[in-house]
Formats: sequence, structure tokens, C-alpha cells
Amino acid sequence: MRRALVVVLGALALPAAASAHATLRSTTPHFGTEMQSAPREVRLRFDQRVTILPGAIRVLNGVGTNLAGPARVEGSSVVASVRAGKLGAYTVRWTAVSADSHVVSGVWTYGVRIPAPSVNAAFGAGGPTATEHFVRWLWFLGMALAVGALGFRLVCLRGLEVPRALERRITAAAGLGAIVSLQAGIAAFSLRSEDALQLPFDRFLYGDLSPMAATRFGHAFVVMTLGFAFVLALIFLSWLLDRVDLLVPAFVLALGLLAGLSFSGHDAFDAGSSWLTEMADWVHLAAASLWIGGLATMALLLWSGAPQLRRQAFARFSRFATVLVALVLVAGTYLAIVRLPELRDLWSQGYGQVLLVKLGLVSFALLWGAFHNFVVKPALTRGDEGFLKRIGRSLVGESLVGMAVLLAAAVLVDSKPPPQPAPQPTSAALVR
Amino acid sequence: MVHWLFAAGILLVGLCLACEAIVGSEVWGMRRWRAYLWPGLAFALGVALWPVMALFTNSAIHMYAHGSWAEVLMLAGAAELGLVHGRLHSPLWRLTWPLAFAVTGAAFIIHEQNPWFFARSAFLHHLLGWTFLVSALVPLALVWRPRSLALRSGFAAVMVVVSVMLFADRDVAPVFGHLSPQAGVQHR
Repeated sequence: MRRALVVVLGALALPAAASAHATLRSTTPHFGTEMQSAPREVRLRFDQRVTILPGAIRVLNGVGTNLAGPARVEGSSVVASVRAGKLGAYTVRWTAVSADSHVVSGVWTYGVRIPAPSVNAAFGAGGPTATEHFVRWLWFLGMALAVGALGFRLVCLRGLEVPRALERRITAAAGLGAIVSLQAGIAAFSLRSEDALQLPFDRFLYGDLSPMAATRFGHAFVVMTLGFAFVLALIFLSWLLDRVDLLVPAFVLALGLLAGLSFSGHDAFDAGSSWLTEMADWVHLAAASLWIGGLATMALLLWSGAPQLRRQAFARFSRFATVLVALVLVAGTYLAIVRLPELRDLWSQGYGQVLLVKLGLVSFALLWGAFHNFVVKPALTRGDEGFLKRIGRSLVGESLVGMAVLLAAAVLVDSKPPPQPAPQPTSAALVR
Repeated sequence: MVHWLFAAGILLVGLCLACEAIVGSEVWGMRRWRAYLWPGLAFALGVALWPVMALFTNSAIHMYAHGSWAEVLMLAGAAELGLVHGRLHSPLWRLTWPLAFAVTGAAFIIHEQNPWFFARSAFLHHLLGWTFLVSALVPLALVWRPRSLALRSGFAAVMVVVSVMLFADRDVAPVFGHLSPQAGVQHR
């Protein structure tokens, strides 16, 4: 009986392959290729026969001139000849009617004797908008809430008798953070793709997002989506089974997932980037998320949920936050030096101006935190109960400033840093 | 392939529900792990839908459809697990099932823009969508009549029927002998 069950389950789990919707299987030139000579034709291979509309393939040079001739169907491929182009970056935009009558579209880039630009820098892409800044902020807030709530529970409340109601609220906050991270990640990926594809919404819905998924940002989106779904599952199981130890892998995983943004942003790509800038960016983001998310958890959940733990939790968080703030400052200063070659870039460049706003907000938050650390903490140690009652609102205020810092960070991430100075030629090169 | 894997999972959920309906919850729950079987499977299927959502990016609308199914299936499975384990007490948490059915049905209908008889895939997408939407009434009624044998059998039957439809889902296969000339070469 048991053997028969195994056979049935195996047969169900390993079926033969079924076909899928019309999908672009491969392209020539390939996504993001650097070619040594200009291609004579562009070819798209689909998994089934498609029909084409006028202008099915457009190959745009750096000023938007279309170099592609009329497209034709060859079996399940669509082909267009291309006029010889010079050295430069090229954008291919295509449209086809798939077998099931959906109009599918896509975009990719290639370079002739230069590296291909990222697909979100394709010709016609407009760059980040205010909506993208807002979504990126939500993404930061979600991650800060997930990481901060988990970190606060595991570090600052370790070994304390945590009331069940507070335990539930902290778990719920971490779960909410993971859900917001998932939704904001999907929205951020969609907005980037929409910008690259430059299609009206109804056609964007059938747009091929795979070239965007093949970018570093796309890889980060895939890994972070899967990771945060798993974090959410772990948080749920921790709540269901009353097992705080399950929060440990959730915390470690969530902390590691923050690296997805560091490895796909400025500090991974721009001139001057190295593994050190990527690590510094991750440390900066992770420490800031722990600080702001932990503070919000303490202010909004613990202060009203477990008054008996206020004194101990506050003292522990003060020590923890001191380490986190030090990490934020060291990593942030290093990254600012790498990104801004000249001091005047701080006020003359858009990136520098946003950084100045962020620095102002961080300074404000630090002063507020210093007040808590140097004035409130000693008073609490002396047993001043009046402070304990009044300080809750002050903690909420500091959390709000922290959230404003994350908004500035979101705008900064979507801004373009000033160009790095060209390297000076060596004396040997000059002699030659 | 992916449709078939999820069809297998949903079929197992349906068979467990059918067994529970036939023998009754008391007998079914005599071994503790059995009570967790189908809610846990539903939750796991929800988690497993995330890779489908994130890795199949050949169109935005399919990504959103798979994402919405992942979320509602995780939610419904989690609520059922919470009720089974005693962490949740209100039977109103079972409203997550009609919600999941309604969202799933709407997503099927919205992301299929071809008419019913265009091809088998289109036909089954419409059929799956309307089956989910109409049968959302079954788990909705179960919230207030949890011991009704007819409703519990109906819930199991919906799952089994849905799994059969998913097994039969193929993009360019003919439906009732009709196939659009645009659908290309048949795969068998």
C-alpha cells in the first residue's frame, strides 16, 4: 500500500512537460552583449509562431534613430536587418502578437565595442520618478521594521520574561515588515521595468520583463522576493509554534537580504566601486535598519505593551544603538568620500544636496538619541519614574526622524552620483 | 510542468479534505499530524508559488497573478493552521478561504484576455476563474455550517475538480475540436 502511494505521488510530481504562453526564448545579439562589430540583423526566437505588426523591431542608437529595416517572420523567429552602426550603445524595442493574440513587447540593449548599458538605461527610459522614490522608501521602511523588530526581540529582550501579548505584537510587526518588503519589492521592480519598456499600462501588462530580471537589480529582486517569503513563513511558524528560536534564522536571513540592494546599487556599479563599497553599503543599511526599526518597535510596542520592561529594554537598546550608530557613521563617511570626489559636490551636485539633507536629518536624530543616552538613561538608572512616563512620545519622535532619514536615503539611492575624475596618465604612458 | 506540480499539490489537498469529510473530523484528527496535513500543504503551496512568481517574468500580468495566488494561499493555509493549532479561535478566520477563492478566480479571469473557445488554455482559464468565483460560496457557507457533510464534500470536490483542470491546461491544444489558426503548431 505504502509502495503504491509512493508510485502515485511520484507520478503526480513528475509529469511530462506542458507548453507555456508565448515566450521569447533567445535573441541575437544577446541581452547586454558587447559586440566587436555591428550586427547585420536582429533575431528574436519565440517558443511558438507569432505574427508581427509594423515596426515590430526597432534598433535605436544613442540619439534615437531607428536603424532596423522591416521585420519578417521566419518560423518561430522574427528577424529584421540592421543598417551598420558605429561604436556605441543600442536599444532594441520589439512588439509581436503571440499565438494567443496577446500583444507582447520587450526591450534589451547591446553595445558595439563598448559595454552595453543596463536595460533601465535603454534609450527612451526616463529615470526614477517621485513614485519610485516613494516605493523605495516603503521598501526601506518594510525592511527596517522586519529587521528592527526581530533584532530588538532577539538582542534587547534576550533572557527577559516577555509577556505573550508583547511577543505577539513584535512578531506581527516583523511579519508586517516582511509583507511590506515583498509588496514594495514587486512595485519597485515593476516601476523600473515600466520605465525601461516605455509602454502604456495595458501593453506593459504583457511586456516581457525578463531582460530586467537579468540585471543585477532583477537578480536582487528575485532573491529578495524569495528570501522575504521564506522570512515571512519562519515568522509565522515562530508565532504558530511559540518558538522564539525560529526568529533567529528569520533575522539572519532578513539581515543578509538587505545586501540585495547594496549589490545592485551605486556601490556595486559606479566608478570607484569595489567589494569594499558593497560591504560598506550593506553595513550602513543593515545598521540603520536595525537602529530605526528597533527604536520604532520599542517606542510603539514595548512602551505601551510591557511597562515593566521599559527600564531594562531602554538601557540595553541604548548600548546596542551606540554600536549601530558608530557603524552607520563609519560606513556612511567612507561611502560619501568614495562617491563625492570634491567637497563642493556636496552643494553643487544634486546627489550632494540630497546627501546634505540626509546628513542634516541624521544629525538631528543623533542629537535626539544623545539626549536619550546622556540625559534620560542616567535619570532612569537613578529611578526617576517621571521620565519613564514622559519619554514614550520622545522615542516616537526620534523614530519619525529615523523614517525621514530613510526617505532621504531612498531619494539618494535613485539619484546619480557626480562623475569620478578621469585617472591621470602615468609618466610612462606620457613618454610613449 | 509548473501547472502540473501545483495540480498535484491541490489534488492532495482535495483528497485529504475528502477523507476528512467522509470519516469526520474526530476520526481524522485522532492522529494529530493528520489535522495539520492539508492546512500545512496549502501553506506550503502558497510559499512555493513565490518562486513561480519571481522566476517567470515573461509577462507582468502573469507575475502579478502568481503573486496574488501565493499571498492568498499562504494566508488561508496560515489561518487554518492557526485554528488547528489553537492559536486562533474565531471561526471567522475561515473567511480567508472564500477570499482566496474570489481573488484566485478574479486573477484567472483578468489575466486571460482571449474568449472562451480560443484554445484549451483560454477555455480552462475562464472555467477555472468562474469555478473559483462561484464555488467561493462553499467555503463561505462552511464558516457558519462547519459540520455540514454536503459543504465539506463540496469543498473537497472543488479542489479535486480544480486540480483536474490544471492537469488539462495546455496553451495551444484544441478545445472541442476548435483551435484558432493563430495558435501555431500543435504540440501533439
